[in-house]
Amino acid sequence: MDEKTRDDLLKLFQSKLNQAMRFYLETCSRCGTCTEACHVYASMGQTRYISAYRHELVRRIYKKYFKGQGTAFPAWGESRELTEMALQDLSEAAYSCTGCRRCMVYCPHGIDTQMLMSIAKLLLVGAGTEPEILSMLADTSIEKGKSLEFFKESFLTGIKNLEAQVVEKWQVEAGQTPIPMDAEGADLLYVALAGAHSIIPAAAIFNAARENWTLSFFEAVNFGAFVGDPTRTKLILERIINEARRLKVKEVCICECGTAFRVMKQQSGKQPFKVSSITEVHARYLREGRIRVDKNKFKEIITYHDPCQMARNGGVIDEPRYILSQLTGNFKDMTDDVRYNWCCGGGGGLVALGEETLDFRMKSSGVKVDQVKATGAKILTTACENCHTQLSDLNDHYQMGVEVKFLSSLVADALIP
Amino acid sequence: MKTIYYLILVPMVYLAFLVFIVGTIAKLAKIFGSPKNPSSTLQIYPQKNPPWFWALMDSFLMPSVRRHKPLHWVFLMSFHIALLLLIIGHLELFKGFNVFQFIPHEIFLGKGFVGLVLSLALLFFLFRRFASPVRDLSIPEDYYLLILLFLTVLFGAQMDWARRWYGYGELSVSDYQTYLTSLLFFKPELPAAVYQSGHSFMLVLHVFFANLFIMIFPFSKIMHSFLTIPMNKLRRG
Repeated sequence: MDEKTRDDLLKLFQSKLNQAMRFYLETCSRCGTCTEACHVYASMGQTRYISAYRHELVRRIYKKYFKGQGTAFPAWGESRELTEMALQDLSEAAYSCTGCRRCMVYCPHGIDTQMLMSIAKLLLVGAGTEPEILSMLADTSIEKGKSLEFFKESFLTGIKNLEAQVVEKWQVEAGQTPIPMDAEGADLLYVALAGAHSIIPAAAIFNAARENWTLSFFEAVNFGAFVGDPTRTKLILERIINEARRLKVKEVCICECGTAFRVMKQQSGKQPFKVSSITEVHARYLREGRIRVDKNKFKEIITYHDPCQMARNGGVIDEPRYILSQLTGNFKDMTDDVRYNWCCGGGGGLVALGEETLDFRMKSSGVKVDQVKATGAKILTTACENCHTQLSDLNDHYQMGVEVKFLSSLVADALIP
Repeated sequence: MKTIYYLILVPMVYLAFLVFIVGTIAKLAKIFGSPKNPSSTLQIYPQKNPPWFWALMDSFLMPSVRRHKPLHWVFLMSFHIALLLLIIGHLELFKGFNVFQFIPHEIFLGKGFVGLVLSLALLFFLFRRFASPVRDLSIPEDYYLLILLFLTVLFGAQMDWARRWYGYGELSVSDYQTYLTSLLFFKPELPAAVYQSGHSFMLVLHVFFANLFIMIFPFSKIMHSFLTIPMNKLRRG
């Protein structure tokens, strides 16, 4: 690696050194309490997947360039030069970490491995060695924000084609648009994913609740966050913020996508609208009696997988359980302490990397499979696209014999007048 | 030899405290002077209120360690409690404080057992690093610090054990008090017993290793003493 590249990368490293990051970099006592926290280590048993091992890879570079010991006594903390090899190690650490933050629950100091891995991811972006697919997807999202007019017509046509399926689930009143678009003054802006499954059930439920809503032109997922690029994360986020402000909505409702929800909720700053997940909105409709569901629709045992970015990292814990209490008398929770629920193994961009990570995702998620099996459930529901894809892959691979369903789909299927 | 003893017992002590104080302030200023995290929260849910209370509980009682590594937790708690008693014990070596006598005791506190507990805990911490997977996570700093602390504690505790358990009376509490108080008021005085008695070398080694330790403190992971509470507060929201 030439000096100029290294200097540029170190500037990127420096840009991440906020107060919290310095706490995390200065404190680890390598006590090993986090050893069993990571689902990858718990499933595969390799030391390199222990959280403390992962973040020590970042810390060694920090010690080399940002602490006196890196020059005075490099052997003290095993300081390490930033080289191609070091980047390779960082890549392996960062893209085998799903950012679930389960290890943070274990750590006596509260070190956030996801934050430390974000340094690794940013260095990879700086070196141009980040996963190409994620980078391209992030760029496409940004491009869509810049040239909406170019996409608008085809998007509207696509949405129009879905309307019949929405009406099939819930009949709208005469003159009402099943999927309202670009409706200024709507109360709620729904930000979906690129896919009918993310729009049809949600639209049916909004209509059943007589919500004054409108659908966003943009997809919720933030590939900038997956690839660990704060600039692109912000640009992707701003598309939705600008749209919400333009339409003067009171609430932005994020579809079943954990990362999109957490980024929007925790990084959008002070705005004239509130941010909710669709799970929270559905629970609210049920509590307020705006929608009703048939409790006898599903006979089998249902369990729920908490998406890490929604539950442990986003606080949406009681709402899905309330919804399930209305949907079935046969709900079985996976854990009595949500903080300890296992990650599905698909977060952090791993699912978006598709086949490339499939083998690793399957091997690294054995503990999740065991957790699901222990419930005896036949329906495995969740509220995150990534988790849904990963759990479906696990279901096929391990022949778990469950039906993997979105929570919103269960609600939509059980709607009664 | 007398010169070496003097250098360790007087100038090095001042140097060590200077490095410790300046280093710690500079380090904390750098950390707390850094910009705040742009995200609104780094917490883990569900939130328990009040978060500051639970952050203190996490920091002082380490419930996650108790849950996942109970044996380690027993040694960690013993170690930290003994460390606190040891700090009180050293304060009493400057002068007796009535406030610490709410449980009447002889100086040095703990009848020799504080040092024993610390020594055993440090040996446990050291030996657990010889076995995987903690071995694979450990770096030289972890071993250096443990060995340094062990040597400091061992020589310090040995002086206490000698007085308490072996009836060794040449180095008395009043000798320590004279020495330490003189340092505090920048009028260094070394009673003859401090550098001429049979156990003087233990005191000198204890002070030497302690000096090294406190000089290293601000530049090591021991800074968790200051950072664990704010970090746990971040986690608790």
